[in-house]
Amino acid sequence: MIAAEGLAKRFGAVEAVRGVSFTAPDGQVTGLLGPNGAGKTTTLRMVSTLLAPSAGTVKVDGIDAAGDPLGVRARIGALSDARGLYARLTVRENIAYFGELRGIARPEIDASIARLASLLELEPLLDRRTEGFSQGERMKVAIARALVHDPPNVILDEPTNGLDVMTTRSLREAVRRLRQDGKCVLFSSHVMQEVAALCDEIVIVSHGTVAARGTPEAIRAAAGCEDLEEAFVRLTGAGAGEG
Amino acid sequence: MRRTLAVFAKEIRDALRDRRTALMVLVASVVTGPLTLVLVAQFVSGLEERASTLRVRLAGAAHAPALVNFLKRADVEIEEAPADYAARVKAGTLDAVIVVPPDFHERWLAHEETPVELVFDDSRTESSPAIRQSERLLDAFNRETAQLRLMARGVSPSVNETVKVERVNAATPRQRGAVLLFLIPMFAILAPLLGGMTLAIDATAGERERGSLEPLLANPVPTAAFAFGKWLAAWTSAVAVTAVTLAGFVAAAALYAEKKLPALLQFGLPEYARFVAIAVPLAAFTAAAQMLISTYGRTYREAQTYVSYLATVVSFVPLAVMFSGAREAPWQAAVPVLGQLMALQRVLRGDSLPAWDVLVPAAVSAALAVAAVAAVARLLRDERIVFGRS
Repeated sequence: MIAAEGLAKRFGAVEAVRGVSFTAPDGQVTGLLGPNGAGKTTTLRMVSTLLAPSAGTVKVDGIDAAGDPLGVRARIGALSDARGLYARLTVRENIAYFGELRGIARPEIDASIARLASLLELEPLLDRRTEGFSQGERMKVAIARALVHDPPNVILDEPTNGLDVMTTRSLREAVRRLRQDGKCVLFSSHVMQEVAALCDEIVIVSHGTVAARGTPEAIRAAAGCEDLEEAFVRLTGAGAGEG
Repeated sequence: MRRTLAVFAKEIRDALRDRRTALMVLVASVVTGPLTLVLVAQFVSGLEERASTLRVRLAGAAHAPALVNFLKRADVEIEEAPADYAARVKAGTLDAVIVVPPDFHERWLAHEETPVELVFDDSRTESSPAIRQSERLLDAFNRETAQLRLMARGVSPSVNETVKVERVNAATPRQRGAVLLFLIPMFAILAPLLGGMTLAIDATAGERERGSLEPLLANPVPTAAFAFGKWLAAWTSAVAVTAVTLAGFVAAAALYAEKKLPALLQFGLPEYARFVAIAVPLAAFTAAAQMLISTYGRTYREAQTYVSYLATVVSFVPLAVMFSGAREAPWQAAVPVLGQLMALQRVLRGDSLPAWDVLVPAAVSAALAVAAVAAVARLLRDERIVFGRS
């Protein structure tokens, strides 16, 4: 479970995030929805302890991120905004490296790779170097690498960005499987349909604050319109010229 | 520690798979060093050859029977210079020509001032032995003539020579070689830079450029473990390249030993071992410095530029020593690169090498390396470094 309370982040004069609060419970997919530049990535970086918040707290399974960042990282698997792979290493080696960094023993790493390869349909690629991989293939490897330690909390920052329909569908399926396994999945996207198709709860972020929060139905009700996309536009003011 | 080793193993594996770079470094380290050495050796032995056989070129030898007689007695080969000697000297095919005017013999007999011309081009270093030789022979001829004339007048020849200069060259043949072999220390100092560079940049700026730094840092591993593991890998690579480069020199020197030039190229296994012992701590420092510098680079290329400044500064040290003619002083041991350079030169000169001369530079390098690695670890916790400097 991930709980953010009054998160704020300031970069010099720019306030990227201004008081974001939400709770992402286990066994659910929580979606951070918002236009580009709304503060989603910054929020997720604070949750995964890569950025220190200017204000507010993050608790992951009750562990305070500021007090024990390594403890929080151990309980999180995060697909970050940057998701570069090592081009000269094979898929297996890329995933295994992160397993070793997490202190997992080799046999368990191998078992984990087998499990993730089946979840993400990576089997045919396992022993190929990642050089020249398609965007979808790279994304899957990056996700597998983030999940090598079978974390109870999964953070995915725009996981479907730039992927084709088939890859997107298989990724969605993988996210549903994670939810079935009782994981807490926190997911960000700027695509309405993406979030509507997957999320149990949506947190709409706009201009660094939470514009609305609730189930897709609750959000539609709050915006006073039937169409979720219309609700998104009204709530975020995305129509008012934000990039 | 296990995590540090995991980082180390990954970086080494990654670097070894970079075939093109590995090959470039290998070729540069194996071939270039000895090749340079061979060229220098060829040059030096050429000099010695030119100077060792006494040969003088005369234009108008027929006008100076006395001079010819003197030279023949001194076992000097006399060659009549070709008519176009001036052009040939200019072109570099002739080193020096003594030009005797037609009235030489008459003036000489009349005890008048007898001018001769020595034609040379001193912009060519390789002709300087021949020029000096001609000058010396003419001087000797002068002296002999004067002595004979004084004796004919009943004056002791020593009147004419109050200070008699006898040349004693204090340099042993080996030391003469070491002066020329300034190059081996130069390579011993530059090889760690070359060997550590690719890995140091790839593990820092490269990691950032390809977007793998953020996921890497999301692992529950203290940044010190990353910095330490990456540095160990860069150091290993630097040491490996240095060892190979210097081994190339050993091979080249062995090759030359058969050609009876051992004095010039005294670089066998004992020297090799000392060189490596001096270069290994230096490599620890240079690899750490390269990493620290590269961490500031946003891209591989940017970091490469920064790192090349370091190489420039480091390669300036041997040149500065060579041109300033700095003498050895104890404080130099504490200056990175300079301390190593001085110790390396002592090894080449065959001087004694006190443990102090190795340990002080090593300790300074180690301390600086630790400081640089700690700085990298701190930078990896810096949001501006990890996520760009906006």
